[in-house]
Order: sequence, then C-alpha cells, then structure tokens
Amino acid sequence: MWMNFVTAVLLQFVAQRFLGVWGAAAAGLFTGVIFRRGGAVRAGALSAMLAAAVLLAAAAERGVALTDFAATIGQNFSLPGWAVLVATFVLPALQAGGCAGLVSRLLTKDHVAVR
Amino acid sequence: MSARSGRMVMAALCAAVGIGTTYVGVAGAGPLPPLGGLLSPAVGLWANAVDDLAPTAGGRIAGLDSSVDVRYDSRSVPHIFATTDADAMRALGYVTARDRLFQLEIQSRAGEGTLTELVGDVALPADQETRRLGMPRSAERKWRDIGDSSSSGKLLIAYAEGVNAYRTSLSAAQLPVEYKLLNRTPREWLPVYSLHVLNRMGYTLARSPGELELLEARAMVGDAAARALFADNSPVQEPIQPTDRRAARSAFPVIPAPGAPDTAAVRMVAALRSTHHEPTLMAWRKDADPTVEAARAFASNNWAVAPSRSANGLAMLAGDPHLELTLPSIWYEVHIVVPGSFEIGGVSIPGLPGVPIGYSRAVAWSATNTGADVMDFWRETVDDANAPTAYRLDGTLTTLVDTRIETYRGKSGTVIDVDTVYYTHRGPMQRHGREWLSMRWTVLEAGKELEGYFAAFHATTAPAFLDSMARYYQAPAQNFITADTGGTIMIRSTGRYPVRADSGRGTEIRDGSVRASDWIGDWPVERYPQGRNPAQGYLASANQQPIDPQQDALYLGPDPNFEIWRALQINRLLRADSAVTPDKMRRYHTDPGSVRADMLVPALVTAARGRMAAGDASASLKAAEAILSSWDRQYTRTNSASRLFETAITRTTALLYDEFVSPKTNARVATPTESQLLPLLLDSANGWWDDRRTPDVRERRDDILAAALRTAYDTLVIEYGDPATTPWTWGRVAPAKPNHLLRLAGFAAPEMPIDGGRGTLNPSVGSKRANFGASWRMVVEMDKEPRVRAVYPGGQSGNPASTRYLDRYATWANGQLDSVRTPRRAQDLTAADTRAVLTLTR
Repeated sequence: MWMNFVTAVLLQFVAQRFLGVWGAAAAGLFTGVIFRRGGAVRAGALSAMLAAAVLLAAAAERGVALTDFAATIGQNFSLPGWAVLVATFVLPALQAGGCAGLVSRLLTKDHVAVR
Repeated sequence: MSARSGRMVMAALCAAVGIGTTYVGVAGAGPLPPLGGLLSPAVGLWANAVDDLAPTAGGRIAGLDSSVDVRYDSRSVPHIFATTDADAMRALGYVTARDRLFQLEIQSRAGEGTLTELVGDVALPADQETRRLGMPRSAERKWRDIGDSSSSGKLLIAYAEGVNAYRTSLSAAQLPVEYKLLNRTPREWLPVYSLHVLNRMGYTLARSPGELELLEARAMVGDAAARALFADNSPVQEPIQPTDRRAARSAFPVIPAPGAPDTAAVRMVAALRSTHHEPTLMAWRKDADPTVEAARAFASNNWAVAPSRSANGLAMLAGDPHLELTLPSIWYEVHIVVPGSFEIGGVSIPGLPGVPIGYSRAVAWSATNTGADVMDFWRETVDDANAPTAYRLDGTLTTLVDTRIETYRGKSGTVIDVDTVYYTHRGPMQRHGREWLSMRWTVLEAGKELEGYFAAFHATTAPAFLDSMARYYQAPAQNFITADTGGTIMIRSTGRYPVRADSGRGTEIRDGSVRASDWIGDWPVERYPQGRNPAQGYLASANQQPIDPQQDALYLGPDPNFEIWRALQINRLLRADSAVTPDKMRRYHTDPGSVRADMLVPALVTAARGRMAAGDASASLKAAEAILSSWDRQYTRTNSASRLFETAITRTTALLYDEFVSPKTNARVATPTESQLLPLLLDSANGWWDDRRTPDVRERRDDILAAALRTAYDTLVIEYGDPATTPWTWGRVAPAKPNHLLRLAGFAAPEMPIDGGRGTLNPSVGSKRANFGASWRMVVEMDKEPRVRAVYPGGQSGNPASTRYLDRYATWANGQLDSVRTPRRAQDLTAADTRAVLTLTR
C-alpha cells in the first residue's frame, strides 16, 4: 500500500515536472491503475499535491519568494496570495484524483456475493 | 441502484472532475485563464520567479559572422562586443528578446493592428484605428522599398535573426509570464515588424488632426473666436531656434468673445457626425480612452550647454523624453562596440535596431517631439457613397489607388470583424457621416529613418550627426540636439515638413477635388529651425513652437501642437546660471519650479481676495485662498497646494470654455492650450468669462476664477479629506505609478512620491489608466570621452518576478542618476562590475 503510494508520488513528480499542465492528469491515470482495488481518488489527489509541494519547495530553494510572488499573481486576479498557493495544490489534486478515480472504476469488476 | 450503475456514476463523476479540471487547466473557460499552465510549479508562472540572468550563458544564432561577447554590467546593461555591424544587430535582437520578448510582440502588433490575435476582442477598437489610419499597409510598403539587400534591410534582417534565435531557444517553462497568462506563444519576428514599431512611434508622436478640433470650435463659437483660441502661433515665444533676445517674447491679442456659430462649419460638422460613422471621426481625433487622453502628456526636454557656460569648460547635454510610463519601460539600455565601425550606447526601443537617444565616443544626442502638423485631411467626392471605386480629381473620376480588406482575427484565429480601407493618391480614405475624408500623413510615407540613424552613429561631430539625420530622417519630426567632445552644441528640428500650396497652413479640411490643394513639396533643411553654438551659450527644446514667427513665418503647426511652460522654465534656469555643472543638469530634470504656477496662481489668489473683500463669506474660498497664497509654487513631493492649483485650473477651463460643451454629449469637444489663458486673464470682462448657463448674470474673470477655486477646494475635501487634518501632500495624491503593458495590477509599480507635475520640467501626470512622465533621463559631459549618467523608471527585465524589473525605480523617483559604463573592450569591465556573461556563437 505504502509502496504504491510512493510510486504514485514519484509518478506525479516526474509527470508534473516534464509534462507540465498535462502531467497531473497523466500520472493520475496510472495512479488509477495502481489503486484499482480502492483508494484511487485519495491516492491520486494526495500524490499530486505532494508532488506540487516538492516542486514548489524546489523553486523556493532556488530563491523564489513564494508568498510574495503568489501575492503578485493574485493581485492580477483580485485574489489573495494564499488563494494562489492553495490553487496551485488543488488543481493538480482535482486533475489527478478525478483521472485516477475514473480509471480505477473502469477497471474494477463487479463482484457477486455468493451465499 | 445496482453496484454496477453506482460504479458508473462514480466513474462519470470522476471523469467530470478529472477531465474538466484538466480542460480548464489547459484551455481556460470563459473568463478563467488556463489555470494549469499558470499554476504548474514546473512550467507555470512559478517557473518565471527565478533569477533570469544566469552568471554565464550561451546562445546560438545561425547567421553570425563570428562569436559575439556580451557582458552585462551591474546595472544589467548588455555591452555587445561584435566584429561586424550585422552581428551587433543580431546580438541586439537576441539580448532585447531575452529581456523583453513579450514587449517586442505587443508593440509590433500595436503598430500592425493585430492586437486582437494576442489579447482578444478587447483590442478591436485599437486595431481598427490602426488599420484605418493605413499603418500596416505603410509598413509593408516601407519594407518593400527598403528591400532585403539594402544596408538597412540587412540590419533589420540581422535583428530579426537575433530575436528569433532567442525565441526558438525557449522551452514552455521559459516563456514570459504574459504569454502564459494569455495562453499564447511568441510569433516569429519578421523584419517588417520593426517598421510597425516605427510607425507606432509616429502614431504616438505625430498624430495631429488639429483641423477637426478647430472645425468643431468654429461650429460652436464662430470663426473669429475659434481661430483666436486655436491660433497659428503661441502667444508666448521662447523658441528652439535661438533669438537675440534675453527673455521670452509675449504678444497677447484680444480674444474675440464667443460668437454665432460659423454656418459652414456647422454644416460640415453635421455631415461628419451624422449616422453611425461618428466613432471613426472621434478615433481620428483623440485617444479612444478618455482617461488616457486627459492624462496625455507626451512631451520631452533636451538642452545642451556650451563650454562657455559650463563650470568645467566642457560641453554638456541633457535629455529626458516624456512618454507613457510602462513596465517594462519603452526603453532598453544597451552599449554596442564594433571596433573600426561604430560604438554607441544609450537606449533602444525594443523592436527597433538602433539607439535613438544616446552617445558615441565623440557625440551625444537626444530628441524632443517637434509637434509638427504633418497630417492633413481632404474632403473627397466619390462615385459611390457606399462602396467607392473612384474619386473626383480635377474634373475627372480617378480610380482609387488601393482598396484593402482588413480582416481582424481573435486569439483562436477566427474572424471577428472585416473592414475595407480605401486609398486615394493622398492616403487612406474613410467615411465620416455623409462625408468621405482622405488623409495624408508623413508617418505613412517612405522614409529612411534607420539609415539616418546608422549614418549618424558613425559621425564624429555634432553637426555631422545632425546632417546625417537631416538627409534621411522624415517622421516623426524630432528636435534633435547634439554635443560633441570638441565643444560644439547644435540643435535642429528634423523631419519632413510639407509645403501647402494655398494658405500654407494645415488647419483646414482641404478640397479633395483639385490637385491644387495637394502638398507641393517639403521645406528644405535650411528652413528647419536650428541653432549651433549660439551666443547665449546654450540650446534648449521642450516642445515649444520651434521658431519665432517674427524670425520666420514657417508654418510647422498651430499653437495647440506646442507647449510653452517647460521651455520658459528651462530657459529661466539656464539663463540664470553661467557655471552649469553636470549635477545641476541632473537637478534641472526634476526641478519643481513652475512658470505656469508663477503666472496663474496670482490670478486665482487675487480673484479670491476680491470676492472675499466684496462680501463672499465662503469658508471654502477662504481656506483655498490661504493654501494658494502661502504656496511657494514649487511642485515638491511634500507641498500640499499644487493639487488645489491643478484642480482649480481644471475647473477654470471647464467654466471658461463651457461654450465648447456639446449639448448632446455634455462633453467638451475642443480645448485651447493653456497658454491662451494668459490673454484672457488680462481681459477681465471678455465674453469668454461669462457663464452661458446663467443668462441673467454676466460673470467676469474674477467671478469664474473664485468659483473655480472654491469648487476645486470642495471637490478635494470630498476626495482627500479636510486639508487641515489631512494635507493634500503632492507625493500622496499625485504619485508616480507606471502600469504594466497589459495594465495588470499585480505587475504595476508601487506608487512613488515624486517632485514635479504638469508644466514643470518633470511633468509627471497620471490617471488610473495611464501615467506619463520622464521615461529616460540622461546627462552627458563631453570630456575627451563622454561621461554619462542616466536612469529610467523600471528595470531592464520585462519579467515581473525578476529582481531587475523595478531596480531603477527608486533612483528615478528620487531624481538620481546612475553612472553609465562605457567599456571599449570586454575586459575593461571589471569582474566586480560584471553581472553576467553571454556568449553568442553560430
């Protein structure tokens, strides 16, 4: 279970890093396969958020003032800076969670209870 | 619900969320931009929030003759060391794109009329105006005339190669933030785009449809009153071409009172305004955005001091072009060295190869706008009022020289509008109401401005520089000033000035049915206003009428095209100082003194006192009088009276010229220059002072001035609070605030208190939509080699997340200048002074 989640996070990290806007959704599809027996939505969303956090932390490490820049961006949309930061995590989470959930449910077979 | 159907419902829900958010992330939805591209930590806006000037970097430009060494100094100015002129232009294109890629595109599209393809439908009115003025056709024809084998053509191609080399090297993550916000990618840069940028400068500086404003004025107050207020000459003469006088010359004629409307003008205005075509006429007249129009302050100063008048015996030059202040700045500072060919530094305009304001090893130069009237209109008679194919000329129908279908496309490439622009031999022809007007404008016609600059860059004396410019340069006309290391100073109002056959004036809509009303030539260079090493020991221009009509009645434009206040102020300062130093030149740039306030404030104070003595017990008037009378008339950032003065003058203008307010729109359709206030202030009973809304009372000057002052005070109390407790400190109520090119609030500069205001040498004015002021300040001391100090508001980088986006702003706001580096060789720039190195190779 934990190994599957770690794999999902790594997938997300690589996909978001190299596939950009498509990354979270693409990795979410694979996460759905990995978690086809259950928990795909949660795993997809959490792994996408974690990967986004790692990538943002890397940006901060390079010297980006995250909150200042978030405030600058937010001002262009009449939004507070924290909303931009939250959206940065939530959007890939929704993409990945949705895609993972979709795949997992398509792959799940119906089980008939036999008494 | 069965387990299977429940699962399918959940699958559908997940699909909606996953695919929906991904779609919105990639493509956006409605007002939402593509959030995924923006917020992605790897390729979105976060990727731009890094230091965008790596200490060492390399770049490849396929066409380079040999490698080019670029050193960025501690001010982020790229010093380009190339071995050929073409390589220098390739490198200039590359470094400009590296810092200003989005600006390159938006400026060229503004001149091309294709902004809608970048930003969407919101830009359609601007694009329509650009295309109806004939600007894109003009650039295409200019490029055809230049050709790719001429010297200018080769340099434009080289510049484009540099821009494109950088553009194609970018990954999605490296695109400028604006492209990510707009979900667009940069287009290939073509050489003709530089000509679109050049035309756009012409639009900014040389659009002068004054005859339409005069026509409106005549239709409202009669011919005599309108012509007096929209006079051919300024009532105060402090010209660019030096005179023998030691003071300005004033001649205040009596202004006729508003009279009966001129019937011919009324008919013409009615014809032009009828039907739905009215907006086009207005677009030709003024900026589409009224708040920008109100704040518009395209102006500039330049002056040069001869060795006889400087403290150290050296010639000196100063220049500060006043334009809309944007982020990034309209200017990009560069220094280019091509051993054996030329060496220049100063500021370039992104998109234009060259340095319009700057210095070489021997010469420094700057420019102010001449304000010449180089745009005329002809009333045409066409064969078909709805879809003309010919126009009447000397009794015969003449086929139109061109009919161009203009197609406007949106961001996705879909057609959002289609226009037809007709061309007579004079230029573009548009329908205005029931009339067809053609237009001729020097900006649209073939010029060799770039060739002029490149010839001038090789000049080694001030006169040689200006002679090169005079030979090639046509539009927009500029007052070029130069100083050289030999101690010569020179100025010349350079550009193409049309000669009109009849009145010689461009103040009327002309008869298009006869060739006799065409332009018949251009004034020769000898007639250009100019001066060289004058006895007074200095030269200065500040957008005033270039030549006193008593010296030469040469028509360059009517009084509304010029401004007198700054010219009076800089001449006042320079006349009073026989030992000018570079630091004094620097201080003059932001000198808070105002001749305008000196001449107009006493009239307001006198009027207020007169009214109070006559029994007016208004507390507002009393308070306003107290503020103005105790003001030293200096526009310092700490003064708290100039806001009241500005508002009082605005109110005075509104009350004085109420005859120009259209009853239909309740908007003033014509406004004379402020210099026309001076003769009216001397004539206290002039009919212009009478308020037409009070037919039973005949107001006089002091009634109006006092009323204006009182209402100004009341207005400001509402806007800024009681001045007794919250003073209207200038730095608080009128700060500088450069906007981002897309007017994105988050990328604008913070408000910054500054010295100066309308009519001062630092005429910073602004509205919520636009801010105008000194876009570059430069002082050059012409020693054996030039010593240069300069600054502009903003920074070299166009990336809002860069530390180089606003790093010069505080220095500019405080009136300080940076020391400009001028290394001859790459190794002359010390390691401590080298911020980054860029090596360009094939």
